[in-house]
Amino acid sequence: MTPLTKQNLNGDSATVHIIGDRSKYYLHPGQLFVSHESYAVTTILGSCVSVCLWDPFTKIGGINHFLLPMDVGDDQASLRFGNLAVRELIEEVLAVGGEQARLRAKLFGGACVLEAFRSRENHLGTKNVKIAREVLDAVDIPIIGEDVGGNRGRKLIFHTDDGSAWVKQL
Amino acid sequence: MAARKILLVDDSETVLQTEQMILEKSSYELIMARDGEEGVAKALEIKPDLILMDVVMPKMNGFEAVRHIRENEQTRAVPIVMVTSKAEAESMETGYESGCSDYIIKPIDGVELIVKVKSLLGE
Repeated sequence: MTPLTKQNLNGDSATVHIIGDRSKYYLHPGQLFVSHESYAVTTILGSCVSVCLWDPFTKIGGINHFLLPMDVGDDQASLRFGNLAVRELIEEVLAVGGEQARLRAKLFGGACVLEAFRSRENHLGTKNVKIAREVLDAVDIPIIGEDVGGNRGRKLIFHTDDGSAWVKQL
Repeated sequence: MAARKILLVDDSETVLQTEQMILEKSSYELIMARDGEEGVAKALEIKPDLILMDVVMPKMNGFEAVRHIRENEQTRAVPIVMVTSKAEAESMETGYESGCSDYIIKPIDGVELIVKVKSLLGE
């Protein structure tokens, strides 16, 4: 089966490279990617957040990369907003054969690079992490791993076939 | 209170105008620079509250400009948002290593830019 990809509203064609046993895919902000095949999906996160979902039985994995916590209630709604991007990721994983009760989540990003604002509870990175937790919690998907907050960007690599994730602090 | 100063660094007049149109509604003082060298010079001169920095520019690219700005004590802590094309986004690992604070992808989305700017200015 062809890997399912979903892109932002300005979406253009995806470039997929095959390296070793896994194909390689670069995920841009405002996109999500779901597949039951072996992919190493890379993305770069600052205040943005990625939710990685994995079904250990079907080995279906998916990841999003959103920039802002909530859509603003107009026609700008898109995968750039966490409340939509996390729900859409769950739906896409279920659509290709994932089972909601088996899904496990990992959460990454939400940095605040400015020392002066890090103690504030309402900086953008914190809000992005919070909305991801709320959406996952509402549908009882457990978060089994996370690397969030802090003061540095992150390079994240997610393996769709085994649910593993690798983070490099930038 | 004096208006917060934002330095816009880009060699594209279209991008500068877009950024200006989005940000001028929020009463910021906007200063333009059209290449990396001019961006560094103006950053040191005006000590902006925030910088929007293109990546590919003549004379000095955005990553190099960020490194120069970070090396100076007076501009070391200024938030810098890289404004990058989708094709260049994969090089953002270099962007963070050079010291940028966050990044956005062209074409610039008004809501995204305003939210990031306000967040980085602590508003």
